Amino acid sequence: MSNAMTDTAASTLPPAPHNPWRELLTGSVASITFTFIAVVAVGWFWVGPKFLSFGNISIMGTFLIVPLIVGAFSGMALLSGVVDLSIGSMVGFSSAVFALLVSLGWDPASAAAVTLVACLCFGGINAIAIVGFGAEPIAATLGMLVALRGIAWVLLGSQGAIFAFNIDMFNLVSTTVFGLPLFFLLAIGLTAIAAVIVTKTRIGRHVQAVGGDDKAAARAGISVRKVRVAALLLSSFGAGLGGIIYAAQLGSAARATGVGLEFQVYAALMIGGYSILRGGVGNPIGGALGLLAVAGVSNILDLKAISPYYVNIIVGLLLLAAVLLDRLRGGDAYE
Amino acid sequence: MRNSVRAFAVMALSVPVIIGLAGVAEAQDKFKLGMAVGGNTCCEWMKAQGDVARALAEKEGWDYVELSNNNDPATALKNVQIFAQEGVDAIIQFNGQAASNPAISAVAKQANIPIVTYDIADPGMYFVGIDNLGAGVAGGEGLGAIVKEKWQCNPDLVISAEGAGAGIVNEWRTGGMRTGLGNVCPDIPKEKYVSFESQGDAAVGLPAARDLLAAHPDAKKIAVVGLNDGGVLALINAAEQLGRADEVIGWGQDGAFITGDNVNPHLAGSVFYFLEGYAVYAIKDVIKPIAEGNTPALKADAGDPASKVQPCPVTAEQAKAVPDMPERVKQLLAAPAGTTEYELFCPNKG
Repeated sequence: MSNAMTDTAASTLPPAPHNPWRELLTGSVASITFTFIAVVAVGWFWVGPKFLSFGNISIMGTFLIVPLIVGAFSGMALLSGVVDLSIGSMVGFSSAVFALLVSLGWDPASAAAVTLVACLCFGGINAIAIVGFGAEPIAATLGMLVALRGIAWVLLGSQGAIFAFNIDMFNLVSTTVFGLPLFFLLAIGLTAIAAVIVTKTRIGRHVQAVGGDDKAAARAGISVRKVRVAALLLSSFGAGLGGIIYAAQLGSAARATGVGLEFQVYAALMIGGYSILRGGVGNPIGGALGLLAVAGVSNILDLKAISPYYVNIIVGLLLLAAVLLDRLRGGDAYE
Repeated sequence: MRNSVRAFAVMALSVPVIIGLAGVAEAQDKFKLGMAVGGNTCCEWMKAQGDVARALAEKEGWDYVELSNNNDPATALKNVQIFAQEGVDAIIQFNGQAASNPAISAVAKQANIPIVTYDIADPGMYFVGIDNLGAGVAGGEGLGAIVKEKWQCNPDLVISAEGAGAGIVNEWRTGGMRTGLGNVCPDIPKEKYVSFESQGDAAVGLPAARDLLAAHPDAKKIAVVGLNDGGVLALINAAEQLGRADEVIGWGQDGAFITGDNVNPHLAGSVFYFLEGYAVYAIKDVIKPIAEGNTPALKADAGDPASKVQPCPVTAEQAKAVPDMPERVKQLLAAPAGTTEYELFCPNKG
C-alpha cells in the first residue's frame, strides 16, 4: 500500500530541476571526464607548463590521429553490439595496400580510393559472416584479424616493409593550424560529429537500440541486420582510413603497422565508457577522452623519462578505476 | 548528452587559454643527447644499449634523455618529435621498425638534429653498425668448416631459422649464412635447404621447428643457421624434444646465447656483435665531434659507415672466454674512453 502511494506520489511530482553539475557527475562520460582532468592536472603539476604547450599537444595529437579515427568508427560497431577485433590488422592491411600502390606510381588519391574499397570488401566479409550467418563477432573478426595480417605480410614481401615516402603526403598530414595538427583537429571534429549522430539522430538511436536489445529493436521495426552491416562497414572504413594516414605519416608500411592497435583503441573506448560485451553503451566523446587520457599518461612518462613499460600498468589501472567509478555512481543508470 | 557536449566544449575552449599560460622549454647550455632504444622485449641488449649510452653521456658531462621505440614505427616517429621538443643536440636510435626512418629523417632534418642509427641504414642518418651480410657470411663459413670436417659437406638438411619480421636484416644475416656455408660446401643440393619462421625467438619458433622436423623424419645430420641465436635454438630445442638432436649443429648470430654456464651443446658457434656497446662507436666517431663543433660529414651507407662495428665469429669453445653481457658492460664502462667490446673481448681479433 505504502509502495503504491509512494509510486503515485512520485508519478505526480514535478520533474527534478535541471542540474548540469549533477548530470555531469552521472552522465555517460563522467568517469572519463574526471580521469582526463586528473591526467591533465598530474601533467601540469608534475611536468610543468611544458605539458600543455602547443608543441607537446601537437606531438600527442599527431600520435592520436589514427586511434581517434579508428575509435570513432569502430565505436559504432561496439554500440550496435558487435566487436570488430580486425581493426588493427585492417589498419596494417590498408597501409600495405596504399604504400604498395603509391610505390607503384599511383597518385595518392586513386590509391586511397582503391584501398578503402578493398577494406570495405573485407568489412563486408565480416558482415556476411556475423549478420548473414550468425557467427560470433569475436570469433569471426578474430579470424579476419589473422587473415588480414597474413595478407599484409604477403603484400609487404620478404623485406617486411614497403617504402613509399612522399614529401607532399607527409607535409599534408603534418599540416598545423593554430599550432595543432590539422588532422588531429579533423579527428576531433569527426568524433564530435559521431557523438551528435549517436545521441541526436534517429540513426544513432537505432544503433544504440540494436546494441542494447536487438530483439526489442526488431520488434520496434528497426532493421537489426542493416544497422549491424552498416556498423561493420563503417568500422572497416575507419580502419582503412587510419592505415592510409599511417602510411602517409610514416612514409611506409611495415609488418608492425597496426599491431596491437585494437587493444589500444578498445582499452581507451572502455575507459571512455564503452562496453566490449554489451552494445548500446558508450559515447564517442568518452572514447576520445579515453584515448586522450591514455596518451597523456604515456606523454607524462616520456617527459619524465620513466620507462614506457609502466604505461601498460597505468592503462590497466585506469581501466579498472573507470569500471569501478562507473559501478560506484550507479552503473547503467544513465543508459 | 547535452552536458557531455558542454563538458567537452568547455575543456576544448579552455585548452588554448591554458596553452597561453604554458611556458617554453627551459633554456639549456649543456650538450643534450637523445637515445631511442628499440624497446622490443625480446632482447636484453636493447635496454643495455640505453644503459651504456647513458653512462657514456654522463661521463662526458652531457644531459641525456632516453625514450623507447616500443618496436613500433609510429612510436619511433613520436619519439623524435619529443626529442626535438626537448631540445636535444643529437639523437641515437635503434629502430627495429626501420620503415619509419624516412619520416623520422624528415622530422629531424626540419629540427636540424643529426641522428645516428644502429644497424639499419637510412640515407638521412649516420650509420653505425655491423656489416650484417658480412657477419652472416662469416658465421656461415664457421659452420661450414664444422660441416666439412664432420660430414664431408654432406648434411641431410640445412635449416634456416628465419625472422621475416626483421626484413632485410634477416635476408642479410640468414641468407648470408647460407652463402657462407655454400662458400665452404658448394655442392650441397638446393633441395636440402629448408626454412621455418622462428621470429627470432626460441620459444615462439618452437612449434614451427617441430613441424618442420616432423615433415623430414629421415633427416639426421642437420645444420642450422638463422637470424640470431634465439631462432637457431628454437630448432635445436625442437630436435631435443623429439629425440633427434644427436647430430644437430647450429650456428647463430648476435652472440646472445653463446656465453654463460648453460650454453646448449648443439650451438656450435655464433657471431658476437656486442650490440650493447654500440654507443662507444657512435659517441667516438659522431656524437663527440658534433658536441665539439666538428660535425662530421654524413656517412649513411652501410658499405661506407660513419662507424663500423666489427663482427666477431666464435666457436662455442672460444666463447667460453667471453664474459656474459652484464659483466661486459661493467668492464666496458671501466675501460678507457673509446675502447670497444671487440677490442676487449673478441678472441678472434683480425
